[in-house]
Amino acid sequence: MGREFFHLLKKDGRLMLSGKFFLLALGSLVLYSVYIHFVYVNVNQEIYPVYLYDPKGKQAISTEYVTRVDTRERLEAACADRYSAGVDLSSDEPELYMLSSGLDTVDHYRAAWAWAALDEMADGQVQITGTNSREMKNRREITAEFLFFELSAVGFLGLASMLFKEKQMGVIRVHAILPVSRSAFIFSKLLWILASDLTFAALLTVINLGFPVGVTVLPAVLVQAGILSLLMALIGFLCAIGLPDFRQFSLLYLVIAVFVTTPVFLAGQTGLSWGWLKYHPMYHLFMSMKSAYFGAPVKAILYYLVCVGGIGLLFLLAHRALTREMVKEG
Amino acid sequence: MKRLTYQWKNTRRDKMCILTFLLPVFVGIALRLISGVNFQAVGETSFGVLKKGLSDEAAVWLEANGSVAQYESESALREAVNDPSTQMIGVLDAGGGIRTLLSGDELDLYRVIAETLPQLYERRTEKLPYKRTVVPVQEDHDGLKSLLLAITLVTAMFMGCTFNAMNIISEKEDGVALINSILPMTARSYILQKIMLGIIGGTASTVITAVICVRIPPARIGSCLLLILLSAYISALAGLFIGYFSEGMMVGIIYIKIAMILFLAPPIFFYLMVPDGSVWRGLSCLLPSGASFYGLMDLLGGNPDRLGLYILILLAHAVVWSVFYAVMRKERVLTGRLF
Repeated sequence: MGREFFHLLKKDGRLMLSGKFFLLALGSLVLYSVYIHFVYVNVNQEIYPVYLYDPKGKQAISTEYVTRVDTRERLEAACADRYSAGVDLSSDEPELYMLSSGLDTVDHYRAAWAWAALDEMADGQVQITGTNSREMKNRREITAEFLFFELSAVGFLGLASMLFKEKQMGVIRVHAILPVSRSAFIFSKLLWILASDLTFAALLTVINLGFPVGVTVLPAVLVQAGILSLLMALIGFLCAIGLPDFRQFSLLYLVIAVFVTTPVFLAGQTGLSWGWLKYHPMYHLFMSMKSAYFGAPVKAILYYLVCVGGIGLLFLLAHRALTREMVKEG
Repeated sequence: MKRLTYQWKNTRRDKMCILTFLLPVFVGIALRLISGVNFQAVGETSFGVLKKGLSDEAAVWLEANGSVAQYESESALREAVNDPSTQMIGVLDAGGGIRTLLSGDELDLYRVIAETLPQLYERRTEKLPYKRTVVPVQEDHDGLKSLLLAITLVTAMFMGCTFNAMNIISEKEDGVALINSILPMTARSYILQKIMLGIIGGTASTVITAVICVRIPPARIGSCLLLILLSAYISALAGLFIGYFSEGMMVGIIYIKIAMILFLAPPIFFYLMVPDGSVWRGLSCLLPSGASFYGLMDLLGGNPDRLGLYILILLAHAVVWSVFYAVMRKERVLTGRLF
C-alpha cells in the first residue's frame, strides 16, 4: 500500500511539473509581490485639497492644505474633480465654490474643512488605539486578499486540470482495474495541492509582510490556507469529474471567481455589510483568513467543526463521484 | 457566413457555455431587485459613538458630517475603530467638546479629519463666512450599485475572451489547428471567424444585462453600444492572444486568470481608492478595461463628457492589437512554426 501510494504521488508530481503548475504559481507569486511592494503599499487618500483665488492678497497662508491659483477659471478647473473645494476672495463677498460630491454630509464637511484650512487651524490631538501603521495594514490586507484569491483559484484549477488530463489519457479507466484504493487516488492529488498551496502561502506572507511579522502570523495563516486549499481542491475535483470538458469548466470557473469573490472582497475592503452575506460561506473563509493576517485568528470551534465537516463531506462526494465515473468508464 | 454557421453549430451543443454567457444577465436581474438603500453609506465619513455618550447637539452635528454608528460599550467602539476594513473615527465626549479615536492605519484623509474634528466642532455655531456655491452634479446616488453593475457588465464583456481562448486551445489540443494552418485562409478571415462568436456572445450578454438594469437616455444609446462593441472586440482579441501563446489548457487558464486580474482589478481598485483626476487614475484609463469601465461608470452616472475620449482609447487599442496579432501570426506561419 505504502509503495503504491508513493508511486501515485510520483506520478501526480510529474503531471504537475509537466503542466508547468509550479512555474505558474511562482509567476503569480512574483506578480502579486511586485504589485504589493510597488503599488498597493503607497495607496493613500489625501484630505480634500483647498484652492484659493485671492488676487488682492487678503489672506496669508502657510498651510500645506491650501494651494493658490491665479484665475477664477483655474479655481473652477481645480474643483472639477468633485473632491476639492475652492475659495474665491476676489469680490467683496467671499465665495466658497465646489462641485457637489453627491453626498450631502461630505459636502457639508468639505465646506467646514475649507474654512478651517484657510484659518490655519493647528493639527489637533487624536488618540491612537491600534497597533498597525497604514503601510502595515495595507500589506496585511492585500496579502490576505491575494492569498484568498489565489487559493480559491489555483487549488481549484490545478486539481481540475490535472484530472481532465488524466481523463483524456484514460488514466481513470486504467485505475478502475488497478488494485489501488480510490481514496489513495484522491489523497495523492490533495497532498500535492495542499503542499504547494501551503508553500505558496508561506512565501507570499514572508515576502510581503517581512520576516519578523510574517513569522508571527504564519501559523494561523497556514491553518486557514490549509482549510481553504482542501475545500477548493475537492470542489475542483468534483467539478472536473462532473463536467465533460475543460472549456465548460473554465467558464464556470470564471463565474465563480468573479461573482463569488467580488461581494466578499467589497465587503472586506469597504466594511460594508449586507444581511445576506453571513450566509455566504466564502465570506466566512475570507474573514478568517483576514483576521489571521491581523493577528487575531478565529477562535470559534463551530467554524472549525463546520470546515472539517465540509472537507469530510466533499471527500465522500468526490469518492462517490469517482466510483461512479469508473463504473461508467467500464 | 457559412463558416460562421459551423462555429455556431459547434458551440450550440454546449449548453453550459450558453448558460455562462447568460449568467451576467442573472446577476443583472438580481442587482435590479436589490434596493439601493444598502449602498448609500460608501464614500461618507463614518463615525462611531457610544450609545448616549454624546450630547444631542454633538450627535446632530456629527450626523450632518457623516454616517454615525452607535456602540454599547467603549470596548466595542474601540474594536470597531480598529477593524481594518473600516476607516471609522471614534468620537467621545470631552466635557463640552469632543475627542477622537483612531486606530492609526487609516488613510490620510481620515487622519486629518480625526485630528481637526474637535476644533471644527468648537466653532459649529459660527456661521460660514463665505457665500456657499455648491454646483449640483447630476448623479446616480447608488454609487456602489452602479459599481457592481459596471463590474457585471465588464465581466460580461470578458466572457468573450475566455470563450475564444478556450476555443482555440481546445482546437490546438484536438489537432484542428494543424488542419487550419493548411487551409487556404487569410489571416483576416481566420481572426474574424475566430472572434466573431466571442464578440457576439459578449455583446449580447452585455446588452441584455444593460437593458435589464440600466436606464440610458436614447441619445446615448449609440455611444453606449459602440463602447460595448469595442470592449467586446478587444476582449475577444485578448482571447486570441491567450490562445496563441498557450500550449495547453492549464497554461491557458492561468493566462486567463492573469488577464482577468489585470483587466478587472485595476479599474475597480483605482475607482474605489484613488480620487478622480489623479495620475494613477489617468494611467489606468490607458488599459482597455479601464476605459470601458470608466466609460460605463460615466454613462451610469449620467455625465458623458469624456465618453468620446474613452471610445477613442478603445478604438486605438482595437486597431493596434489587431495589427499586432495579424503580423505576429503571419510571421509564425511564414517561419513554418505551426501555431
